Amino acid sequence: MTEPATVVAIITVTAITAIIGARGVRVARTPADFLVAARQVPAPLNASAISGEYLSAASFLGVAGLAMLEGLGALWYAVGYAAGYLVLLAAVAAPLRRFGAYTIPDFAEGRLGSQALRRAATATVILICGFYLLPQLKGAGVTLQVAVGGPVWIGVVVLGGIVTLGIASGGMKGITFVQAFQYWLKIVAIAVPALILLAFVQHPPVANVTGAAPPTFLHKTAVQFPQSEVISVTAAIDVTASGKVDGVQRDGPLVLTKGRHSVDGGATLTFPAGAHAPHVEANPVMSGEAWTSPLLQLGGRPDHALAATYGVLLATVLGAMGLPHILVRFYTNRDGQAARRTTAFVLLLLGFFYIFPAVFAVLGRMEAPGLYTSGQTDSVVLVLPRMMAAGSLGIVLGALVAAGAFAAFLSTSSGLLISMSGALSHDIMGGGVRAFRGSAIAIGIVMTALGLAVLNISINVLVGWAFAIAASTFCPLLLLGIWWRRFTWIGAIAGLILGGLASSIAVLLTIVGVGASGWPAVLLSEPAIWTVPLAFAAMIVVSLATPRFVPADVTQQLLALHLPERVRLRSAADRGLVTQPGS
Amino acid sequence: MTAEPAPAREVVRSQARRPGGRASTPAPDDLYEPDAYGRELLASLMRAQGGACVTVLLPALALLALYPLLTAIFPWLATAQVAGLPLTLLILGGGIYPPLVLLGYWYVRRAERLEQQFVELLKEQ
Repeated sequence: MTEPATVVAIITVTAITAIIGARGVRVARTPADFLVAARQVPAPLNASAISGEYLSAASFLGVAGLAMLEGLGALWYAVGYAAGYLVLLAAVAAPLRRFGAYTIPDFAEGRLGSQALRRAATATVILICGFYLLPQLKGAGVTLQVAVGGPVWIGVVVLGGIVTLGIASGGMKGITFVQAFQYWLKIVAIAVPALILLAFVQHPPVANVTGAAPPTFLHKTAVQFPQSEVISVTAAIDVTASGKVDGVQRDGPLVLTKGRHSVDGGATLTFPAGAHAPHVEANPVMSGEAWTSPLLQLGGRPDHALAATYGVLLATVLGAMGLPHILVRFYTNRDGQAARRTTAFVLLLLGFFYIFPAVFAVLGRMEAPGLYTSGQTDSVVLVLPRMMAAGSLGIVLGALVAAGAFAAFLSTSSGLLISMSGALSHDIMGGGVRAFRGSAIAIGIVMTALGLAVLNISINVLVGWAFAIAASTFCPLLLLGIWWRRFTWIGAIAGLILGGLASSIAVLLTIVGVGASGWPAVLLSEPAIWTVPLAFAAMIVVSLATPRFVPADVTQQLLALHLPERVRLRSAADRGLVTQPGS
Repeated sequence: MTAEPAPAREVVRSQARRPGGRASTPAPDDLYEPDAYGRELLASLMRAQGGACVTVLLPALALLALYPLLTAIFPWLATAQVAGLPLTLLILGGGIYPPLVLLGYWYVRRAERLEQQFVELLKEQ
């Protein structure tokens, strides 16, 4: 299907982004301007920008889709994404800003004094950002497919191209305004449709949400299948079919008998009111009671739900602080206190945003059970406005959510590409504006190509991977680096390697299908529950075993981290270099 | 969550006498002295800030961890309804955020007050 209004909305978002970004270019002069916007950004603007950069495809589409599919327990992802900022606020924000380094590799090298550690941190930045960037590109592909039809790769290439050109030409001063604009666009694009659609629910079909049976169609409903699926039917249903069902071309009435049926991509099945919605065979079928459980049920299965819930919480709460594209924004605060106020404001903005994916999940289960049948729950935010609101209102709201989704991909992808380009150009190409631009273009091309290669891997797996790796690497590096005097660079490298490898291997095994159920499923697909403690233990034990590698200037570094700006003798950077060993 | 153990929170106010017969109130320069006294000043600041960090994160941890634990122990809690809506939706769909935000703002005020005390301590000379 082609939706002209949606296409116009997506083009408008992109154009506004480009215009605001281009205006910012005039202010950007030096590489430092490009990277941290010369530290002139006031707290509310900066908080909007951080939130705008943070709310990605996972937040805008994924949370609602996953909660609709696997139950309200999946909302723990959203809670963790927001609560991560409380940890960031209390343990990291002010010291990191005061330290005065630009990036996590800068911090690692400045605090522990090791080039080897710097390189390990740079590699980790590229790993985390890379795996976070892929699902953004894929999300853009899916959104464009819903809007204009055609193959998914078009959206991947379009987003990859736009973001690469934007970063290579703009820099971060522009991006700060762009990101702030995009937070407000995203909140409007999800809140307004959610509230209007709530008003359409006259007699809430609560049985679909809380009842003992799987959800039923409220009215006669045509379900389109964009891809081939095998569906499972619990009781015979009289449907109207158009397209291939069970290998036979159909165009008229058909009885779907109890059992499995294959439906080809492009087919449409029209279900009568009151019928139970069949579900894609590979996906869970949940009663309302199971669906409203507050425990996270992996794949809809209730086994080890408490461990899975804690695993997701650990990965999201601790992973948020380890996302390199977010941390670099803390240097755009004026001082440590401003960094704290900004972070608290971010928590408020995120908490407000995450109310609305929950609304979409509930509305989707009540009003659009056909998405269970076609396996398209991930698109619930995109398609629900057209399903519930007739005529031009539905078209306008549908265009609005598509614009918000595209803003989510644009903003997060830009931030990720800036971080990767910054790391690559600083640490490998020797720095400078030209190196930064060259890195942005090279990485943009490589990531777009990789994005095309992983189109069949689920968005949630990739986003979960990025958070789990961040929680298992940069989280312990930051917390121990800020708060622990006896930390050494050898311990830090040991933890980065062990935590990064363990979490990466666990998720890779999940992708290739090892551990489909029981404890292996929980421990491999939610690895943070054991890889985070592992990384902390490695950093602490190895540091304690290598006490002579504690930096000679550790006191200077801790002062730089913790001393309020008002009582500093000189800037942290000056002071850190002037050390007198012993007395 | 941090490597810092449970702290004695008001150490910042300490008027500990310095070795070597120097003035009894510390000055910014003292922090940069490599002697034991400078280290102790820094450690007291870090303990105070680390303490504020722990006192805000512990309630947050309890908030996040206890709810799933309680529903695992008492299954009726998992399907409870309030005013016709699932309790899960009321908590995870919005109710959990205001306490987190309030904890955040409480921490900001507390941390700024601690820093103010520390600055005044240094300027009392």
